[in-house]
Amino acid sequence: MPATAFPEVLPGIKQDQQTDSADELEPGYVVICWDDPVNLMDYVTHVFQVVFGWERKKAEKHMLEVHHEGKSVLARESLEKAEFYVHQLQKYTLNATLERDEK
Amino acid sequence: MKLIRINGDKFNFEFTPAEKDILLEVLNRYPLVPEAHHRLTKDKRLPDQQENQHLLDEALKAQKLANKKEITALLNEIGRFTVCPNGFRVFFTRGEIEWLLQVLNDVRIGCWIALGSPGYKQERQFRREKKSGHHLMFMEFAGGFEMYFLGAVSGSLLSETNE
Repeated sequence: MPATAFPEVLPGIKQDQQTDSADELEPGYVVICWDDPVNLMDYVTHVFQVVFGWERKKAEKHMLEVHHEGKSVLARESLEKAEFYVHQLQKYTLNATLERDEK
Repeated sequence: MKLIRINGDKFNFEFTPAEKDILLEVLNRYPLVPEAHHRLTKDKRLPDQQENQHLLDEALKAQKLANKKEITALLNEIGRFTVCPNGFRVFFTRGEIEWLLQVLNDVRIGCWIALGSPGYKQERQFRREKKSGHHLMFMEFAGGFEMYFLGAVSGSLLSETNE
């Protein structure tokens, strides 16, 4: 993802208190965001905050994971919820898919 | 383009005539991303994959249609853009900025796809070709407006305001 100029994005959204632990989330499917060279880093961070209600720090961590590792697992959910999140992320034209959770 | 004031949910901007023309040119290009770009999954074992992909396609199509209607309504709204000494003043609500971000990024990604989805280091070669240069130009314009609106909703542009 290309670097961007504005570091702070703090939309007025409620915060998601979920953790990343697979044990605490409904298993089945994972929502993955894949790297591409066109979506701006701050834009991706903003979208994660809006769609998942995350704090900026957590959204940024996942954005950087996408950028450096090529992808990031954003959520572990039922098929229905995973589809919902993929739809939300694709509304913003992020490269997101759902896959079976192999864990 | 300048953030003038935030009044409750309304963000007031000032545009030069050229900036307004460019924004409208960018918005008028929406939607650019082809339907086939949106894939629900890479996993071929997913149950009801075709049906679920179809549902996603339909939902995104409806969303884009709604966004296009919003843009048309916004651009034709009387009193939205008002003339000022430096050009134009316009306000957008936070919700409008959110869908403007979706629209601008669709144009950005659509231009990138039209360029052949180049990798990180391939961008430079397109600057020499007229048609490609056009896509590259609108891709960068859309990205520039995205960054400005992100700066506005994040509050990082507040220090630039003069009122």
